[in-house]
Amino acid sequence: MPDTDAGVEPHVLIEAYYDAGWTDGLPVVPPTEATVAAMLAGAGLKGHEVLGEIAGRNTVVTADKVAINAVMAGCRPEYAPVVVAALRGLCREEFAYHGPASSTGGSAMVLIVNGPIIERLQINHGNNALGQGHRANATIGRAVRLSMMNVMNTRPGFLDRATLGNPGKYAFCFAEHELDHPWAPFHTTRGFAARDSTVTVYASNSLYQIYNQLAATPEPLLLEFADALGNLGAPNLKGFNESLLIFAGEHAEILRASGWSRRDVQQFLVEHTRRRVADLKRTARLPGEITTADETTWRYVFDSPHDLHLVCAGGRAGSWSACLPGWGKKWTRAVTERIIEP
Amino acid sequence: MKLFDPTTAPAVRVLTLATRPASLAGLRLGLVDNTKFNSDTLLRKLADRLQRRHGAQVTVTRRKRSPSHEIDENDIKTLRSQADLVVSGIGD
Repeated sequence: MPDTDAGVEPHVLIEAYYDAGWTDGLPVVPPTEATVAAMLAGAGLKGHEVLGEIAGRNTVVTADKVAINAVMAGCRPEYAPVVVAALRGLCREEFAYHGPASSTGGSAMVLIVNGPIIERLQINHGNNALGQGHRANATIGRAVRLSMMNVMNTRPGFLDRATLGNPGKYAFCFAEHELDHPWAPFHTTRGFAARDSTVTVYASNSLYQIYNQLAATPEPLLLEFADALGNLGAPNLKGFNESLLIFAGEHAEILRASGWSRRDVQQFLVEHTRRRVADLKRTARLPGEITTADETTWRYVFDSPHDLHLVCAGGRAGSWSACLPGWGKKWTRAVTERIIEP
Repeated sequence: MKLFDPTTAPAVRVLTLATRPASLAGLRLGLVDNTKFNSDTLLRKLADRLQRRHGAQVTVTRRKRSPSHEIDENDIKTLRSQADLVVSGIGD
């Protein structure tokens, strides 16, 4: 078998991958023996090595198939360790893959990269950190989704039952802005050293941007977050949520200048993210008739400060941050995995 | 033209379906609540109907950790020993 398809027009190969049903809807980079081998070398793995298994789905994730998908996604070989670590995270028992991957909720798998690898791979953490324009962000996230589809059988309409889905399902990878941060980097709160490189996998089916240009102290800013996280359309309002908050630009600076610790922010949000039982009943988020007591009885969204994951990313300018409600901590938990480079 | 197959088929597991009972009369019924909203209510109504119409009695009920998680191995052992048939649910 020749290593390359010399003489075959690129668009013919690209169409062949479409015809086989192996793409995410965008054109893929047709792999060759050389590029797949380079991807495996980039990961420091042999093709037969098993990255993880999902027992309930009879799924075994092997390095050779992940390498093919990473090439198709457009990854450079040096990105492979991040892709591998993310997939290992998805296979962890605490992530409980089947739920967030197959749910009608249509979660994106958010990848948050920390550590020295950010600079080496030029993973964007600044301006437009969640947007387009950076190869590492786009292709690492895409490689994970393609692997989910092709290796983990998570195909739309089959074991991906998303009602709507969301654009983050194509790719959702960004790095934390570790040097422009009110606190220590996120991965140090999850048992790793600052010198470690990690990727955190987190399932979320929506992203809200939070705007506030007047707040100069944490309280008004965080009340906005509490309102967004406790909005009546949010999933998992009933006390078993896990949420990701991304502080950017001027909002991160407000928190830094305030002297509030990470724990202070988390505790404030635990105490203020709540809805009255009457609101929940009025909108049929809870069953039953509204009683007088329901108008003054609060239902809290978060059980614990640990349910709030606080990270920093984005450009310095602007009064925007974001929150991403989780798919539900009772059903899945964010997992942080060490990135192992060969 | 060479294509690199990026897919993995699920590992093959041989499963044998249990013999279907000719009648539910006198059989022991197990229920597995997957914790979806109202799944316990629906299962209970179903069990009541199976008892009333077909004579099956609920002998064991187990609740999963979450819909995402598989049922615990110990619960499977209990269901094996205390039930002749099991109903699980529910989806969206």
